[in-house]
Amino acid sequence: MPPVPNMGPNRGRGPAGPHSARITAEKPKNGTKTLKKLLRYIGRSKYLFFMLLAVMLTITVMGLLAPKIQQVAIDSITPNENRSGVDMDKLVDTLILLAVVYAVSAVMTYLQGRISAKLSQVTVRTMRRDLFGSLVHLPIKYIDDHRHGDLMSRMTNDVENISTTVSQSIGSLISGILTVLGTFIIMLTYSPLLTLISISTIFITIFVSAKMTKYMKKFFVEQQIILGKINGHVEETVTGYRTVVAYSKEQDSIEEFRAMSNELRKTGIKAQICGGMMGPLMNCISNFGFVLIAAFGGWFSIQGWITVGTIQAFILYSKQFSRPINEIANQYANIQTAIAGAERIFEVMEAEPEPVGGELPFDHNDVRGDIDFKNITFGYNKDKPVLRGLDLWVKKGQKIAIVGSTGSGKTTVVNLLTRFYDADEGTITVDGMDITRIPIEELRRSIAIVLQDTVLFSGTIGDNIRYGRADATAEEVAAAADKAYADEFIERLPEKYDTVLSEGGSNLSQGQRQLLSIARAVLADPKILILDEATSSVDTRTEMHIQSAMVALMKDRTSLIIAHRLSTIRDADKIVVIDQGRVSEAGSHEELIAQHGKYYQLYQTQFAGSKT
Amino acid sequence: MKLARYLKPYTLFALLAPLAMVGEVFVDLLQPKLLSQIVDDGVLPQNMDVILSTGIIMMLTIILGGCCGSASSAFSGVASQGFARDLRNDVFSRVMGLSFQQTDKFTTGSLVTRLTTDITAIQQLVDFALRMFVRNIMFLIGGVFMMMQLNVRFGIVVAVSLPLEVLIVVLIMRFANPLYTIVAGKLDNVNTVMQENVTGARVVKAYVREQSETERFDAANGALMDSNLKVMRLMALLGPLLMLIMNAAVLAVIYIGGLQVEARELKVGEVMAAVTYVTQILHGIMMLSMMSQSISRASASAKRLNEVLATEPVISDGQGAEGAEQGTVEFRNVSFAYPSSTGRPVLAEIDLKIAKGENIAILGATGSGKSSLVNLIPRFYDAVSGEVLVDGADVRSYELSDLRSRIGIVLQKSELFSASVAENIRWGKKDATDEEVVEAAKIAQADEFVSNMPEGYDSRIAEKGASLSGGQKQRLSIARAVLKKPEILIFDDSTSALDLRTEASLRQKLRESLKGTTVITIAQRIASVKDCDRIAVIDHGRLVACAPHEELLAGCAVYQDIYRSQVRTGGEE
Repeated sequence: MPPVPNMGPNRGRGPAGPHSARITAEKPKNGTKTLKKLLRYIGRSKYLFFMLLAVMLTITVMGLLAPKIQQVAIDSITPNENRSGVDMDKLVDTLILLAVVYAVSAVMTYLQGRISAKLSQVTVRTMRRDLFGSLVHLPIKYIDDHRHGDLMSRMTNDVENISTTVSQSIGSLISGILTVLGTFIIMLTYSPLLTLISISTIFITIFVSAKMTKYMKKFFVEQQIILGKINGHVEETVTGYRTVVAYSKEQDSIEEFRAMSNELRKTGIKAQICGGMMGPLMNCISNFGFVLIAAFGGWFSIQGWITVGTIQAFILYSKQFSRPINEIANQYANIQTAIAGAERIFEVMEAEPEPVGGELPFDHNDVRGDIDFKNITFGYNKDKPVLRGLDLWVKKGQKIAIVGSTGSGKTTVVNLLTRFYDADEGTITVDGMDITRIPIEELRRSIAIVLQDTVLFSGTIGDNIRYGRADATAEEVAAAADKAYADEFIERLPEKYDTVLSEGGSNLSQGQRQLLSIARAVLADPKILILDEATSSVDTRTEMHIQSAMVALMKDRTSLIIAHRLSTIRDADKIVVIDQGRVSEAGSHEELIAQHGKYYQLYQTQFAGSKT
Repeated sequence: MKLARYLKPYTLFALLAPLAMVGEVFVDLLQPKLLSQIVDDGVLPQNMDVILSTGIIMMLTIILGGCCGSASSAFSGVASQGFARDLRNDVFSRVMGLSFQQTDKFTTGSLVTRLTTDITAIQQLVDFALRMFVRNIMFLIGGVFMMMQLNVRFGIVVAVSLPLEVLIVVLIMRFANPLYTIVAGKLDNVNTVMQENVTGARVVKAYVREQSETERFDAANGALMDSNLKVMRLMALLGPLLMLIMNAAVLAVIYIGGLQVEARELKVGEVMAAVTYVTQILHGIMMLSMMSQSISRASASAKRLNEVLATEPVISDGQGAEGAEQGTVEFRNVSFAYPSSTGRPVLAEIDLKIAKGENIAILGATGSGKSSLVNLIPRFYDAVSGEVLVDGADVRSYELSDLRSRIGIVLQKSELFSASVAENIRWGKKDATDEEVVEAAKIAQADEFVSNMPEGYDSRIAEKGASLSGGQKQRLSIARAVLKKPEILIFDDSTSALDLRTEASLRQKLRESLKGTTVITIAQRIASVKDCDRIAVIDHGRLVACAPHEELLAGCAVYQDIYRSQVRTGGEE
């Protein structure tokens, strides 16, 4: 992770863990608007969508036809007044027809599977691409202000949710609605009166299931929260295991865990009892419907209003009628979740992108490297300024060491020069040009930064050095590595420059990672250089290499160094002490020592007694 | 299967659940019969009484069945959730008893998954097995039995279609499983690119690589879509194929039924019943195939849990030594190597005696073995050979909690826990008063920034202290150790994130308030340790010297090297 200025962005986030956040966000805030945007994505594959609709319509019709034909087949083996035996010809004919219906239905179901897969995958890929497209152009502030895990979860879980919803829920929803409608129409043609009776049980079903779902949801949310707590407890205890052991807190931790574990058991049982009642209850209601239909149907047929065949057909159809209702309710909940996810995705997509900068002509190849901070005021929080009227100028080719205590705003200077953040007041110029008025890309191409926390990307060592300049040849890469004192360890690796880094370069030591990021900066060959000196521990040899590499790198460039070492500081053309958000002292080492000011104090605490 | 013992306390419920399920299945199987009775004996002969009485019977049985079903899920809920709780508790207790070399092996993420996802998977399987497995098997067996009873010829239909369905499920799964692995890999790639761009946003922007990163993402994204489509296309076959076989079986049953009716071997109603049964049987197969997936998932989970449960802690209590001295540490010819690494010892033949109240520093390059050395004192690891003595007795002879209560250690990585600031400090001493907590914070130079927090000492620390700076976290961990008032206090490079001024005043305060405490400090900066009574210099796992600063500067080559690299070198050479 890049260094996050400790005064600002990460502050003020509530104690709520990632899990509670996800649950409370389950309901979309502005469902219809998000749905419209989501539909626009699906709408990009209009052709696929309408094909899916057509296929599903066919499946539904086939589904409605099948029981009817089956009934005819059964009728043909049923003896009646006209014949005593089986009407074999008619049976075979009907069975062939039924076989055709089944075959068509199977083929269409297969097509539905393929089309909805394609539809969902294309939609999701487009969405991911757009999301990533906006992600790379997000201002650093946005990324600092959001938990990385949260951003990642939008890219993965939320997108995945949408994918399943498009491929499954939409299909089930449409076919469910079509089936209900179709069945309803067929039932109406048989008997409006009986239809009314079946409908009434449907309403009871919907009512009860809505009530139950609401109740159940409460338990499931509770369950998720406890699960989240357990998750957090385990994660914390395991990552902090050394401390737990050092303070002999194992038993306390186990007890705490047991309490949560038991709580989870209790809610789990409640949720399960509640969920387990749902099925039987629905079953009762739908069977109650059959009894009603049978009873009323019997009475109607005794009155001579309907035929016996109608009752039988009705029982069959009313079963088909009630089945999709639950399905629709379930899918509706899934779609809600997906929309809530989509809302989070669109939030990122619609976040204000980074400014592209101004139009003034500026070519990174022709930069001289004069830098001027004029009266800069800036705070990560508006009410807590970190810099208060900072003035700082660096002439081309100069080496400036910035020193100051933690939180004094050293890193902020870097953040502003690269326009990771923009100053609230004042202007920063490079070669006399306001940096907000030149193209941001050209500005950044003229600067290279080497951060304390090195960032490496998955890929080979060569790829990572080439990050500085994508079109560099293998020789140029090697030359850069050589200058950065990195070639020695690279040559010792089995695959040399083609060695693939495991995640984030964890197979390299901290020092090696730093050398790589210096090589990257060497290759980029910028006019302006920003070095955030590492405080972290590396062994003496590597340390010396890093030092020498940095010295080599700084040659003939305007360099801003956030300095932690006396050697760097002494070597600088100018030392700038930042205190309370402004430059409190500036000058050479000797001058500042003579002043007996802030620098003198810093120097004393660090090096007193070790002067040479 | 080893996990089955966790179900033992819930045997009664585990037996009642399937039993109740039998009741529900029985009622379910009764329904078609009652329904046909209403039609055959009530509607057809227009007998309202039969309709009503059968209807009432039907309602009663349905309610009974519903009760059975609800009871079954309640019983199985009690059993499976209790099972899960006991298992979870045991796994967690086991994890808490492990030594570092063992926890190092399991990553945090994997332990979290094991304790949540894996246990949930097994719990669901137990629940599923107690209810749905029983239900499907009964439907399957019952259905076959009923069909054969109706007419032996129907057996042919079952004998052909049943293996065919099983075959299709097995085949498709065999092709699909490797594809799923590929999809998982592609998804990882997409996530990696995303992760890198979130965490490395500054570098991406600094080198103006937005365009090429987008291209890299597009490639990964496209590959994910392609492999996803591949597996989805294959899986799209499964449903329709199974349905096709089922429907073909229905056709066959009607046809054979027709012939049998013609031959007067069967009644029409029985053919209709056979159609229902064949649907039920094949539906059962589909359910079982779905269950086989969750079984394979759960068995993978079970394997992972058994792995944890089977790990015996390598470091355990000694017989309870007392220790004759106070605040002394001694290394006698100690060698150490990490169990996982191959051979190369991290520490070799270390001999070092630290007196009560001494202020000693340990200095050396990264990887020289400094941290390993102090890790042996509270028995985070055990020495391979030689002896480590605390207060005059071998560390292995103490009870672990007794040994560790004598030692306070501030680790390289400050680990805070989600609780208030005060609670975090109070880890050092459970019953500390508010004044003691504040006093410890003052010594650790933490009081000032804590007081500036909106809720002071009651401020909650979220996400392991993400809202605090590295230096603030370190100061809180120091406060925690100070509050403990141990005989031996170890700082394992734990002031690296402090600026020099703060560090200097911290040292000053510590010196004043910790008179008589043995302090062992590991540090990188000579400036941080040069005032210590003695400085032990470790190089490549060996103790090369142990003396005060001036002496070392005069006579120790390694020390001089380090000194030069920190103070004197610059750009001159």
